[in-house]
Amino acid sequence: MKIVDIKNLTKTYKKNRGIINLTFSIEEGEIFGFIGPNGAGKSTTIRTLLNFIYPTSGSATIFGKDIVKHSKEIRQNVGYLPSEVHYYDDMKVIDLLKYSAGFYKKFNSKRMKELAERLDLDLHRKIEDLSFGNRKKVGIVQALLHEPKLLILDEPTNGLDPLMQNTFFELLTEEREKGTTIIFSSHILSEVQKMCDRVAIIKEGELIKVETIENLTKNNLKNITITFEQSEPIDFDLEGVVKKEVNGNEMTLLYRGDMKALLNKLNTLPVQDLIIEEPTLEEVFMHYYEK
Amino acid sequence: MIFKRELKRNLKSLIIWSIVLSGLILMTLSIFPQFAEQQKEMTKLLEAYPEPIKKAFGMNELNMGDLMGFYGVEIYMMTTLLGSIYSAILASNILAKEENEKTIEFLLSKPVTRSRIVTEKLLAVFVNILILNGVSTITSMIGFQFAKESDVPIDTFSLLIVATILLHWTFGAIAFMLSSILKKTRSILSVSLGVVLAAYFMNVMAGISEDLEFLKYFSPFKYVDAAAIINDNAIEPLYIFIMAAVILISIFTSYMVYKKKDIAV
Repeated sequence: MKIVDIKNLTKTYKKNRGIINLTFSIEEGEIFGFIGPNGAGKSTTIRTLLNFIYPTSGSATIFGKDIVKHSKEIRQNVGYLPSEVHYYDDMKVIDLLKYSAGFYKKFNSKRMKELAERLDLDLHRKIEDLSFGNRKKVGIVQALLHEPKLLILDEPTNGLDPLMQNTFFELLTEEREKGTTIIFSSHILSEVQKMCDRVAIIKEGELIKVETIENLTKNNLKNITITFEQSEPIDFDLEGVVKKEVNGNEMTLLYRGDMKALLNKLNTLPVQDLIIEEPTLEEVFMHYYEK
Repeated sequence: MIFKRELKRNLKSLIIWSIVLSGLILMTLSIFPQFAEQQKEMTKLLEAYPEPIKKAFGMNELNMGDLMGFYGVEIYMMTTLLGSIYSAILASNILAKEENEKTIEFLLSKPVTRSRIVTEKLLAVFVNILILNGVSTITSMIGFQFAKESDVPIDTFSLLIVATILLHWTFGAIAFMLSSILKKTRSILSVSLGVVLAAYFMNVMAGISEDLEFLKYFSPFKYVDAAAIINDNAIEPLYIFIMAAVILISIFTSYMVYKKKDIAV
C-alpha cells in the first residue's frame, strides 16, 4: 500500500524557488530517504505534506487521504521532527511532552520514560537550558511518543553526537520492525545509505531520481586525498578514477573502482598521508548522475 | 489544550496587571472621602480649570463630589485605558508569538486544525480580559467602602463595567487580527498600541475642539464615554453595534487569514 503518494506537487514562492512537479510514492513500512543539498526543497516538500504551506498545484495523499482536506486526521498518525527544534522556553521537558501527548488520543508515560532514558534526556530540565543536541532529543521523543504510523524526520541527526546517532538509528530500526513508515531527509549521503531502502534525490526543487540504495552503493564513489613524500609528478593511472587533481605533493581523486586495486597501487607509492571520504552530494550529482 | 496552556502562559502578566490596576484603583478611591468633604472648594477649584481640559476629561458633565461621578472621571479613565493597553499587548502576541519563536512548527504538526488554534487562543484573550475586569470591578467595590455613603447605582455601575469589557474586547480583537496577519510580534505590538493610543487621543481631541469633534466617531473610547453612560444610564445602541461589528469582523478576518496562510518558519 502506498503510504505517501505525491502527484505533480508544486510549490512556488514569490522570491524563493520551491518545489517543481514532484511525483513519487512511498510504500508502507519502508524507510525512504530524501536527499539533496541545502535549499533543494526537502523541507518545503515536508512542510507541504504536513500542510504548513499550501501547494501551488498538484496534489498528494498520505494514508490515502488528501494532505490539504484531511490534514488533521493525517497528523493524528504522523510524528514529525523538524530540522531545527524550537519549543516553548518556559516549559520543562516533561511539560512539553505531556502537552504534545495531550493532542493525541493516547499518552504512554512508560514509553516516554523509556525513550528519554535511552536518549539520556533529563525530563525535568527547562527547555530553555538545553543544548541544541538535547533539544533535538526532546524532538525525537515528541515525534515517537504516540507511536505514529508515519515518521517524518527532517535532518534528524543534525546536532546529535555519534553515540546518540547510533541510539537514534536503533530506535528507528525498532520502529520499522513495528511496521512504521519513515521519511528521512538528509544532505549526508552515508547516513541515508545506512538507513534507507530507497531515496529520492532532489536538486533545485526538482526530483532527479528515485533510486534504491543498492543501485546507489553499487557505484560507490569515494573522495581520496593522497599526500606524497615528494612533489615529483607521479604516474597514477587506475581504472575507476573519475577525476584527478594534483596540487604540489597532494593529489585528489574521485574514485569509483575496486578498493583492493587502489590499495595495491598505493602500496607501491611513497604515500605520506591518506584520506578516504564520502564525496559531497554535489560531486555525486556532477560525476555520477549527469552521465 | 491550547486554551489551558495560554491561560497558564499569560497568568504572570495577568497577575501583574491586576495588582497594578487594583493598586491604582484603591489608591485613587481612598482619597475620595477627603475629596468629597472639600467638595465645595473642589468644585471651585475645578471650575478654575480651563473649559477645554474639563471637556476633554468629562469633568464638566459629571459631579466629582458624587462617588459615581468620581469613578467615571478618575477610575474609569484608568480601567478603560490601561485595560485596553493590556488587551492589545495580550492579543498581539498570542498567535504571532508561535510563528516568531518558531514553535508553530510543533503545534501545527499535532492533530489540530488551524481553526481550533485560533478559537482556543481567541477564547484565552477574551477570558483573560474578563478576569482583569472582574478583578478591577471587585477592587472598585472594595474601594467604594472608603466613602461614607458608599452607595452607587448598581445598574449604572454595571453598564460602565460592560462598556469597559466591550472596549477591551474591541481592541483585543483588532490586535488579534493583526496577530493572525503579521509575523513579527514587535511590529504587531507597536501597531496595536498605536491604535489604542491614537483612539484615546482622538477622544481627548474631540473633547477639546469643536472643529475636531468628528474624530469621536473613530474612537471607541468615545463610544463608552462615562459621562454619557452615567447621565443617560444607557450605552448608545449604535456604539454597541459598531463595537460588536468591529469585533466580529476582526475575528472573521483572523480565521480566514490564518486558515489560508502559508506558515513556514
